[in-house]
Amino acid sequence: MTGLYIGLALILLLTIAVGLVRVLRGPTATDRMLAAQLFGTTAVAILLLLGQAGNSTAIWDVALIFALLAAVAAVTFVRRRNIDTDSHQEGNRGHH
Amino acid sequence: MEPALIFDLILLLTLISLAWLLLASTDLFRAVVLFIAFGLLLALAWVRLGAPDVALAEAAIGAGISGALLLIGLGQLGSSERDRCPVRPLTFLQHLSAPVLIGVIIPSVTVILLLELRQLQVVTSGQQGLVQNLLSISGSDHPVTAVLLNFRAWDTLLEKGVLLLALITIWSLDQARPRFENTDIPPLLSGFGQLLLPLLILFAGVLLWQGGYVPGGAFQAGALLTAAMLLATLSGYALPSRWTGVALRLVLVAGFLVFLAVAAITLLLRGEPLHYPQRLAGGLILLIEIVATLSVAAILSAALAGGHPVTNLPPAATPTTKIEDKS
Repeated sequence: MTGLYIGLALILLLTIAVGLVRVLRGPTATDRMLAAQLFGTTAVAILLLLGQAGNSTAIWDVALIFALLAAVAAVTFVRRRNIDTDSHQEGNRGHH
Repeated sequence: MEPALIFDLILLLTLISLAWLLLASTDLFRAVVLFIAFGLLLALAWVRLGAPDVALAEAAIGAGISGALLLIGLGQLGSSERDRCPVRPLTFLQHLSAPVLIGVIIPSVTVILLLELRQLQVVTSGQQGLVQNLLSISGSDHPVTAVLLNFRAWDTLLEKGVLLLALITIWSLDQARPRFENTDIPPLLSGFGQLLLPLLILFAGVLLWQGGYVPGGAFQAGALLTAAMLLATLSGYALPSRWTGVALRLVLVAGFLVFLAVAAITLLLRGEPLHYPQRLAGGLILLIEIVATLSVAAILSAALAGGHPVTNLPPAATPTTKIEDKS
């Protein structure tokens, strides 16, 4: 069973590696941020699998921290972007 | 090859390429997102290395709080700086500094370190046996907590001091500005906050308490409380101005001061700083950890606010001032 858990974790890790393309290419900030959010979810799944494989509850705690904190980064991003768009528009008006 | 080995190799390769990509990125927002991804994978690496304590800290501080801190910091930069790193003409000394650094200083430090490394004795067993033998008198059932709060408590004390110094530096540079519009909170966000805030606070308490026997502790718990504070700030909450004076400063320094007081009292009574009496060790560690959790949370939250509090400004007037500043 342990081999299966590690194997599944390996596949999930590969999806993160492929997903990095979206962070690198964008094109918008939202694309990059959402890719990072998806990594957070994938990392939770990987940690749960590794915890099951190694029979370690401490790893589940790491997964729980990721699950709780990934959302906070997303909220920060959304609240910040709103202000950014405003200031961009203001800047553009200034230039014209 | 075994799947575990392939997993480790791919994790390692992704980590190194991520580190390179984020350092080489000229787009600052992309670099921040890469840094968040780097923190995630680094926590996975610590798990694979069998160090769940470090993985917990990396997950809470590295991937969680630093990500938010960098995003907020990025928002504070001017629009020209925000999208691209500014390229300025270099002075003569700056031109000289790179070759001197790369050609002379780094090779000499490397050579000195290599020579020193050859002198070191190889201890393959580590200190695990020693720590396990002394665990019963340490006041903690978890070896890492025993090392951090008892055997090497001095390091942890200085760590709290460093954190405080960092905040003093931030406070001396700028005043806290409202980072987010306080009007027009999306209903989704306030509902989300109601759901997540109790969970964050509850889990912070769990981490603090379980630090006594399994991985956990003040730093991780403090980081979770900081996330709760950040979420509250994003949902429009602001610390009332009557609390931002002496009360806030007391909470900020309490973690360091209580630790220092314990060091001073043990020095006076037992001749050695932080040499706890065996009977009181557990209680002292718990006291230091509880106060440290609050202080770490306050310091990290104050760092996220990005400057010293403004006491004379009514909170309601701040959004208007901010818009005027921009135009």
